[in-house]
Amino acid sequence: MELYHVELLSAALFAIGVYGVLARRNAVMILMSIELILNAVNINAVAYAAFLDPGRLVGQVITIFVITVAAAEVGLAMAIILRLYRIRATANVDEADSMKW
Amino acid sequence: MEWAWLIPALPAIAFFFLATAGRRLPNWSAIAATGTMAVGFIIFWFVLADWLSMESLPAVKAFGFHIDWMKAGGSTFTWGMVIDPISLVMLGLVTAAALGIQIYTWSYMAHEPRFTWFFAVHSLFAAAMLALVMADNLLLLYIAWELVGICSYLLIGFFYERRSAAEAAKKAFITTRIGDVGLLIGILLLFAKTGTFELSAIFALVEDGGLSDTVITAAAVLFFLGAIGKSAQFPLHVWLPDAMEGPTPVSALVHSATMVVAGVYLVARMFPFYEHSESAALMVTLIGAFTAVGAAAIALVVTDIKRILAYSTITDLGFMMFALGAGSVTAGMFHLLVHGFSKAILFLGAGSISHGSGQTDIRQMGGLWRKMPITAVIFGIGALSLGGIPPFGGFFSKDEVITAVFDGRGLFFMSIALLIGFMKALYMGRVFFAVFLGKLKPENEHAHESPIVMLAPMLIFAFLALTIGFMALHYTDAYQGFGYFVFAGEHQEAFHLNKGIAIGSIALAVSGFILTWLAYVQGSLKTEPIIKRFSGIHHLLVNKYYVDEVYQWIIDKVVLVLGRFIAFFDRAFVNDIGVNGTGAIATTTGRIMRYLQSGKLYTYAMGMVVGFLGLALAWWVS
Repeated sequence: MELYHVELLSAALFAIGVYGVLARRNAVMILMSIELILNAVNINAVAYAAFLDPGRLVGQVITIFVITVAAAEVGLAMAIILRLYRIRATANVDEADSMKW
Repeated sequence: MEWAWLIPALPAIAFFFLATAGRRLPNWSAIAATGTMAVGFIIFWFVLADWLSMESLPAVKAFGFHIDWMKAGGSTFTWGMVIDPISLVMLGLVTAAALGIQIYTWSYMAHEPRFTWFFAVHSLFAAAMLALVMADNLLLLYIAWELVGICSYLLIGFFYERRSAAEAAKKAFITTRIGDVGLLIGILLLFAKTGTFELSAIFALVEDGGLSDTVITAAAVLFFLGAIGKSAQFPLHVWLPDAMEGPTPVSALVHSATMVVAGVYLVARMFPFYEHSESAALMVTLIGAFTAVGAAAIALVVTDIKRILAYSTITDLGFMMFALGAGSVTAGMFHLLVHGFSKAILFLGAGSISHGSGQTDIRQMGGLWRKMPITAVIFGIGALSLGGIPPFGGFFSKDEVITAVFDGRGLFFMSIALLIGFMKALYMGRVFFAVFLGKLKPENEHAHESPIVMLAPMLIFAFLALTIGFMALHYTDAYQGFGYFVFAGEHQEAFHLNKGIAIGSIALAVSGFILTWLAYVQGSLKTEPIIKRFSGIHHLLVNKYYVDEVYQWIIDKVVLVLGRFIAFFDRAFVNDIGVNGTGAIATTTGRIMRYLQSGKLYTYAMGMVVGFLGLALAWWVS
């Protein structure tokens, strides 16, 4: 196994996540895509740590941080989406466009 | 003599007092104003005595006195006054005339509701005029000059409820303003070349040759432009006949004795320039003579009494300029002095006539001496004086002018001066005979003499007009004529009588009066056939040579067109494009840019991604 294998996987996951953020209408789907992006970044960090800096644990520590922050952020984001759903009766982000010109 | 500055200062204080507090104290206005003029008159006599006792004549001595006012950019501007024969003559004339006319106004305008304002502006005018004649630097002279113009505007437009009066005031101010531009440019030119406004310093430079001939000529011409405006010479004479819309005391003081002679005073004051510049002096002579002849011709055909007197004033001003251009300050100033009192009598008499009979058109008058004998006598003295009959003052001054013109300019100009004298006799005779002699018209049966308050100043002025002529003569070794008091250059001029000129001018004057007596009193010389034969010229004269029409055409076709173009330019370019356009650009840009705020989440997310990729690309490339 080479570094670029893992990098490729990470890039692919990242791209799928970005596509999901941009193209999904459902707010929960957008959240899942954001999680995908974050996990892609995690894989990338661990790979770099394992291949390029074997003795130390820098990449892994970063990954732990990211997972924690992601968890917190998802909790907050779900709260917002639930609130939005209660008010608008829909989770379709296209319909939440009242803050415009 | 140091207290001479009080003479203009007191009326100025009276103006401020009357303009602010006068409304609450209506009875004080006349007393305050006339009181300051009387005090000024008394101070003048002290100043005169002081000056005469300084040392004996013959040198022209000028007493100067100045205080520093402000310093700017290396030069110091001062308030200063100069007391020399010219300013003494003017001081005496202005204080005496203003005092007498203010007393006349007590009665003439007694029923006028804006009595206080009249006296306030009148005081300001007197203060400005007195400051003008005593100014020793050009800056103060210009300030006083403009102040006098403003007061003239306010006084002409005193009855501003009348449209014609407001128009006349505007016309007077704008016309004199055009001349004032010349004066201002002349003053600035001298300042640029000499670095000072002080007259004594400038004259020293002129004498030493510190200024080039071109500069001297240019400055002389520019100053004369200012005099053309203020003293109603051709082509800026059009305001003076219309200025008769103002009250009669204003016409008597401002527009015959004082303000209009400011131009003559200016030329006399700046006389070293005209001595050194032959072309400028010639210009003065020509314009003066031309104006005098033209105005005298018009005075022969107009029928409103004040208009006749206005054109007569223009004639006399041209006559004074004629003398100054011929090189004689003596003759010019003497005629100024005599004319001041004589013309004042005539105007005050005209006011008395309109007060007593309500008429202003001489065709409606006639035989008024039966009803207003004192006015008739006084008016007659004034008319004879300006017509040039000895022993009245006007004969001496006219003779001095003609002699000076003969000495300075030769036979041709002297004959023009004699012609002017003849025409003066003609129109003076015309106005006197048509108004006072002849048959009394039935509508004038109610005419009455004016009250003593109005008559007293007229009597005093009449006495002066009678006697002041004798100032011209040679009495003792120390005073050999007016030329010993007022003269230009190094030596005084003794009075000399050129018998030929004297006899000629007397003959012409007497014949002028006889002709008009035949025409208007006896009726044996009919004027209608003359008018019919010269109907073309008559038409031209009655329409005042169409000068007003030419000016109106220039205003309509040139000035207003230019004004409209500039207004269009300002509106289209500066306002619509410059100011409004910038605002419009901001608004339109905003209107386009606001679509970025679409409210849709994926738009913002796409923006973030694109921006991030762009930054990464830029970082990778660099």
